[in-house]
Amino acid sequence: MTSLQLEAISERAQPSLIAAIAKKEIAEAFRSKWFWMWTLAFAGLAVFMATVALPGSQVAEFGSFGRTAASLVALAQIIVPLMGLTLGASSIAGQRESGALRFLLSHPVSRSEAFLGTYVGLAAALAATVFGGFGLAGLITVVQGGGADAGSFVRIAVLSWLLAVSMLGFGMLVSTFARTASAALGIAVFVWLLFTFVGDLGVMGSALATRVPTWGLLATAVVNPVEAFRLASLTAFSGSLDVLGPAGRYAVDTFGDQLGWMLFATVALWAVIPVVLAWFRFTRGGDV
Amino acid sequence: MRTLSLLAGLMAVTVLGLPTAAADDTVDLQALIDATPPGGTIVLDQGHYRGGVLIDQPLTITGVGWPTVDGGGDGTVIEVTSPDVTIEGLVITGSGITLDREDSGLSVTGARAVIRNNRFEDVLFGAFLRSAPDSVISDNVFGSKDVFIANRGDGIRLWESERSVIENNVVRGGRDTVFWFTDEITVRGNEVSDGRYGLHFMYSDGAVVEENVLSNNSVGAFIMYSRDVVIRNNVLAENHGPSGYGIGLKDMDRVELVGNRVIGNRVGIYFDNTPYAHDEYGYTSGNLIAYNRTGVLLQPSVKRNVFHENAFIDNGEQVGLTGTGSFQGNAWSLDGVGNYWSDFAGYDANGDGIGDVAYKVDDLYNTLTDSHPDLEFFQNTPAARAMSLSADLFPILRPDPLVEDPHPMVARPQFGSLGRGGGAGARIAMLAVSALMIGTAAALMLAPRRARTHPANRKAHA
Repeated sequence: MTSLQLEAISERAQPSLIAAIAKKEIAEAFRSKWFWMWTLAFAGLAVFMATVALPGSQVAEFGSFGRTAASLVALAQIIVPLMGLTLGASSIAGQRESGALRFLLSHPVSRSEAFLGTYVGLAAALAATVFGGFGLAGLITVVQGGGADAGSFVRIAVLSWLLAVSMLGFGMLVSTFARTASAALGIAVFVWLLFTFVGDLGVMGSALATRVPTWGLLATAVVNPVEAFRLASLTAFSGSLDVLGPAGRYAVDTFGDQLGWMLFATVALWAVIPVVLAWFRFTRGGDV
Repeated sequence: MRTLSLLAGLMAVTVLGLPTAAADDTVDLQALIDATPPGGTIVLDQGHYRGGVLIDQPLTITGVGWPTVDGGGDGTVIEVTSPDVTIEGLVITGSGITLDREDSGLSVTGARAVIRNNRFEDVLFGAFLRSAPDSVISDNVFGSKDVFIANRGDGIRLWESERSVIENNVVRGGRDTVFWFTDEITVRGNEVSDGRYGLHFMYSDGAVVEENVLSNNSVGAFIMYSRDVVIRNNVLAENHGPSGYGIGLKDMDRVELVGNRVIGNRVGIYFDNTPYAHDEYGYTSGNLIAYNRTGVLLQPSVKRNVFHENAFIDNGEQVGLTGTGSFQGNAWSLDGVGNYWSDFAGYDANGDGIGDVAYKVDDLYNTLTDSHPDLEFFQNTPAARAMSLSADLFPILRPDPLVEDPHPMVARPQFGSLGRGGGAGARIAMLAVSALMIGTAAALMLAPRRARTHPANRKAHA
């Protein structure tokens, strides 16, 4: 089948085909050791945090959920991006390397369908990990006699999943460029370092050296999806950002009650942007 | 009791089912007051009474079934100019909104007033006492006008009203609960929330402040320019305004700060030029200081404070300075007993309950945030933690220790329960969403298996 005919087929992506490929992806994810490693690490740490957060709350009886939530957010901030990035990076590059992608596209399956199926499947697998981890943590909090605001808990879980999906998109974007799965993984880990450490350290350094205006800090943070996630989660469980010093205070004073949904929308936007770029790149030719 | 013996002045008014509009009131409260002999008692039944009244003789007004006295949105609802007036059981509502006229629910300029068990709703100032010494404000509920916080009045405001007792009131909204030039008052068991300053003392010596709960205000308690104040066993939680202090102390001497729970504020306890006099020492002991962004914050010039037997638990920054400098001149232990620090990593080999190595605060990130508050924006990020870790790994980056507690406590001091658990409803909701999340995860994991067995799906492949 020539690539010309392939393009013709790709005009109309068939949902049933996407679903079938997605299910295959989920099945493969659950068979891979990587995935289980992430799932166990995330769920295990989430459960651990819910367990240790509570003795503290019995001392204080204030802000007990804040502590569990803050720990979960800190955990999600590190593990969830790594999870999404590695899964995404190994997806297309790995299939390309093993020839699975060539095999799949030799069927009447368009590139769009193959891409979207992979994406939907991996996003669903990530949902299982994230919601499983949060669900267990929540369960343990309740069993131990701790109360929590269910609404904020759900918001943080959904935000974590959106972050995972965003990083999955970045991972797939990397995957479309890389020749081999190992190269893709290497780049993905670098991207992770950039989002979680280097970016913030860079902004901190510039703030020390050059007196970045207060709104500038906020802006640079929103440019980074991991930071956007942190701010949105913080707003979800503490209701505001004023714990974050002058810059947080500035955000509260400027945006007021709008802040919550604005940050949520930012994270949601970040969940869409990279995958659209990856899709664009993957469907516009290139070797398989 | 004069008021009781003169119960002959009883003007029990039984007017049920009065229309609610002020204009239609059939009972003239002012006329009733004027007709009552001094020291008499008025029993008001349920109903709606026009406010804007003046009480200029000793009198007791007792409400039965929550009668409402309504100022109709203008001026002060009840004005008391005589000593020995008791107001109880009323709903006082509808003051004006003019701050510079100090429109109040209840304005008192006579001694020995008793304001007990009333509800203040939709008033600018709640109870405003001027030169009303030996008064009692107890068991009242204060609401406020629903306007921007700076345009609200104070729930309770005392001016030169010495030896008064403020007890078991609930104040919500409002601006401050404030005491000016009011010595030797007792403030006990009140709950103040959602205001600006939960408690505010100006030039008021010898106060006893105990067992109050001050939460979700801009500042919990800001005590200024006063001496000999006892602040004991209060709860100061989740105060998050621009200053956001649990307790702020400015130019204070001889403060006894003991047994308070200071939890989840922006800053737990803030010391500004306290102690004030150059020969005074301040002692802070037995407090629980937990989960604040900064546990204890000092101005670099503050000296002569002694902190001992406090529990510093998981504050973002256990102790900090406003700017660069050091804690020199302050002590972190007394008679060989220091404080409990949740991040103390030392040991206690001889088992005497005191760590064998000193506790030090030398965190790089927090040292930076002291001089560059903007960087607080990055707290709890992996980057901020990496920065602190790098200082531990490479001593060349480590800042000079801000604080050294030579005798850190190893066991956490115990604090009794406040009986404030989460409600059952919240836990059921939490249980439901947790179960739902686990269910979602399980369904997703089982989805591909169903795909293999489901005949309909097989067709879709074909």
